[in-house]
Amino acid sequence: MAAIIEVRDFAMRFGPLTVLDDLSFDVVEGETFGLLGANGSGKTTTIRALLGIYEPSGGQLLVEGRRFHPSQSARLGYLPEERGLYAKESVIDVMAYFGRLKGLSKRDAVTWSQRYLERVGLPDKARVRLDKLSGGEQQKVQVGVTIMNDPAILILDEPTKGFDPVTRRLLLDLLDEQKARGSSIVFISHQMDEVERLCDRILLLKDGRAEAYGTIPDVQDKYGGRRIRLEFTGDLPASDRYDPVVHERNYAELDFRDDVEPNDVLRDLLAAGVQVRSYDVTRISMEEVFLRVYGAEAAKEA
Amino acid sequence: MGGHNFKTVVAFEYLRTVTKRRFWVMSLSVPLLLALVFALTSASARTSSTSQTTTAFGFTYHDASGLVTPALGKAFGGTPTDDPSAAVAAVRSGASTAFFDIPADVGSAPVQVYGQDVGIIANGRYDAVARALVEAAVKQKIGDPRLATLAASGAATSATIYQNGATVSGIGSIVLPGAFLVLFYLSIVMLGQQMLNVTLEEKQNRVSEMILTTMSPTTLIVGKVVALIGIGITQAVVFGVPILIARLSAPTLVHIPGLSWSDITPDPFRIAVGFVVFVFSFGMFAGMLVAIGAVMPTIRDASGAFSAVVITMFIPAYAIQMVVNEPHALLPTVFTYFPLTAPVTALVRNAMGTLAWWEAVIVVVMLGVVATIMLRVGVRLFQVGSISYGSRVNIRQALRQAR
Repeated sequence: MAAIIEVRDFAMRFGPLTVLDDLSFDVVEGETFGLLGANGSGKTTTIRALLGIYEPSGGQLLVEGRRFHPSQSARLGYLPEERGLYAKESVIDVMAYFGRLKGLSKRDAVTWSQRYLERVGLPDKARVRLDKLSGGEQQKVQVGVTIMNDPAILILDEPTKGFDPVTRRLLLDLLDEQKARGSSIVFISHQMDEVERLCDRILLLKDGRAEAYGTIPDVQDKYGGRRIRLEFTGDLPASDRYDPVVHERNYAELDFRDDVEPNDVLRDLLAAGVQVRSYDVTRISMEEVFLRVYGAEAAKEA
Repeated sequence: MGGHNFKTVVAFEYLRTVTKRRFWVMSLSVPLLLALVFALTSASARTSSTSQTTTAFGFTYHDASGLVTPALGKAFGGTPTDDPSAAVAAVRSGASTAFFDIPADVGSAPVQVYGQDVGIIANGRYDAVARALVEAAVKQKIGDPRLATLAASGAATSATIYQNGATVSGIGSIVLPGAFLVLFYLSIVMLGQQMLNVTLEEKQNRVSEMILTTMSPTTLIVGKVVALIGIGITQAVVFGVPILIARLSAPTLVHIPGLSWSDITPDPFRIAVGFVVFVFSFGMFAGMLVAIGAVMPTIRDASGAFSAVVITMFIPAYAIQMVVNEPHALLPTVFTYFPLTAPVTALVRNAMGTLAWWEAVIVVVMLGVVATIMLRVGVRLFQVGSISYGSRVNIRQALRQAR
C-alpha cells in the first residue's frame, strides 16, 4: 500500500520551546491511523503543520506526495478539535457553503445535505439557524460538513470529544462506512477503547518524539505483552511467576514474565486449589499502554 | 479551485448580509428618515411661509420712511397711526393685534414689530407680513421690476481666476475629487465595524481551521473585503437612488446651496489621484482591521484598538482649517506623509487642488506600499491568530509560525 501521508524529520518550535522534534511516520492508503499522546504532546500541532496552517520549523510533511495545498481539500475531510460553524447562518446555507468550498456544485451540495439531514433526523432543521440547534444537533451538522465530499483522507482530531452518545455512535458508523469505501483515516483520540476498535496502526507521542509506532499488537507487546484474565473461586496464591495487577474477590488480571508460559501459571493455580471458572490470555489494553507511558497522573489529565 | 473558492467566499459573505432583513431595515431607515425629515421640513416651511404672509390679521403701522402708500397699507390690512407709543400700548393691552413701526431709514434701522402672542411658530407671521409690506413698498417706489429684482437679490458675477497663466477651476472642481473623501469616511463608518466582525467571526465560531484547509487565508480575507465593498456599494445605491429620484422629480428639493450642477467641473488628474488614494487607503485600513481581528481574542478587545485607529485616521479633520488654508505648513505636511493621517489629509488637499503632482505620487506610492504590507501582515497574523482561541496573539511568534 502506498503512503498517503508522509512525515519526515518533522520539527516544530515556538520560540525557545521545542514542541516536536525528529518525527517521522507514514499513513498508508485505506488504513485507520491513530495519533495518540497526552495533552500538549503535539498531536494537533502535527496536524496543523500537515495541513499548512503552521509553517514547520524543519522536516517535510506530504499529503499525497506533496506539501498540502487547499486545492487538495476536495479529497480531505477535517474535523478539528476546536470546531464550530457559522452560528448565525442556516444549516443548509452553511452546509452548501462548505460543499462548494470542497468542490461540489451547489445543487449537489444541497441535495447531499438534505439527504444527510434526513438520515440524522434533522430534515426539518435545514432552514434553522445553527445557534438555534441543540449541541448534539450542531455536532451532527459538523460531522456532515466533514464527510460531505466523500473524502479520500479523513483527519479527525478528538472527534468524539463533547459528543453525546447518539452523535458518537453516528460518527463511528460513518467512519466505518468511509473506511469501507477506502478512505484513509487519521484518528486523534484519548478514548483508548475507540483507538483499539478503529485503528490499524498508531503513533504514540511523548515529549515531542515518537514513543511508539506500529500496529496495536506491536505496541501492546512493547509495553507489557500478554496478560491473563481470570475468574476464579478460592485464594490466589503469591508467586514469582506473575504479578496480579488487578485483584478482586473472584476476578484477577495477571501480568507474567516473558519466560513464563501461561499454561505454567494455570497449572500453579490449579495446584494451589484455585477453582478457575474462566481463563483468558490477552494483550494489555491500550489504556494500560498509555498509563505505562505517561504514568497514572498524566493519563488522568489527558 | 482558488478562483472558484474566491467567488464562493464573495458570494457567501455578500448574500448572507444582503439577504438579511436587518440589513434592509438598517439601510433603508437612513434614506427614509432623511426623506421624512425633508418632507416635513419642506411642508412645514411652505405652510409656514404661505400662512405667515397670507393670514389676514389687522394691524396698525407708523411709517417714518414714507415708503408705504395708504393704498398699499390698506391692501395688507393695515391702518396708519401717528402715535407709536399708544399703538404699542394697545397691542400690549390686547386692544390691537399688531403694530409695525417703520423707521425713516429702513436700510440701516430695523422695522420694530409688536404683536399678540399666537404661539412661537405662528408669531413669525408678524415679521413675515412686515417684511412683505416693506418689500412691496420698495418695489412700488422703484417702479421697474428688473431694478426691483436687482435691488432684492444683488448683481450676479462670473469670475475667471488665473494661476501661472492657466485658469483655476472654481468651487465646482472640489466636488468630484472631494467625493472620495466622503466615500472614505462612509466606508470606515459603515463598513469598518462590519469588517472587524467578519474577521473575528471565524475565530469566535471556531470555524477557522476548517475554512483554512479549503483555501488560503489570502483568498478568504480578500474575498471578505471584496464582499464588503459590494455590500458598501449596495448600501450606497440604497442611499443614492432615493436622492436621485428626488433630484429628478423635485430638483429644487435636492441642491447644494451656492452651487449649481453645471458648476461641477471634472478634473481628470485630481479625480484619478482621489480614486487611487481612496483605494490604497481602504486597503491599508482593511489590512489593519484584519491584523487587529487576528491578534485580539474577542470583538470587545478588538473594538478598542479599532477606535484608536479610526481616531488617528481622522485627526487631520481637527486641523482642517490649517490643511485647507496653509497646506504647506509643518503640520499638514507631516499629516500628508504619515501613513495613518495621509488618507484624509491627501484627499482634502487633492480636492482643494493644493496637492502638487509630485506630492500625489509620493503619497500614492507610500499608501500603496503600506497597504500591501498591512494586508500581507494582516493575512499572516490571521492564519495563526484565527486559531488562537480566547487568547491574545504574540505577533512576532505568529508571523514566524504562519506559512
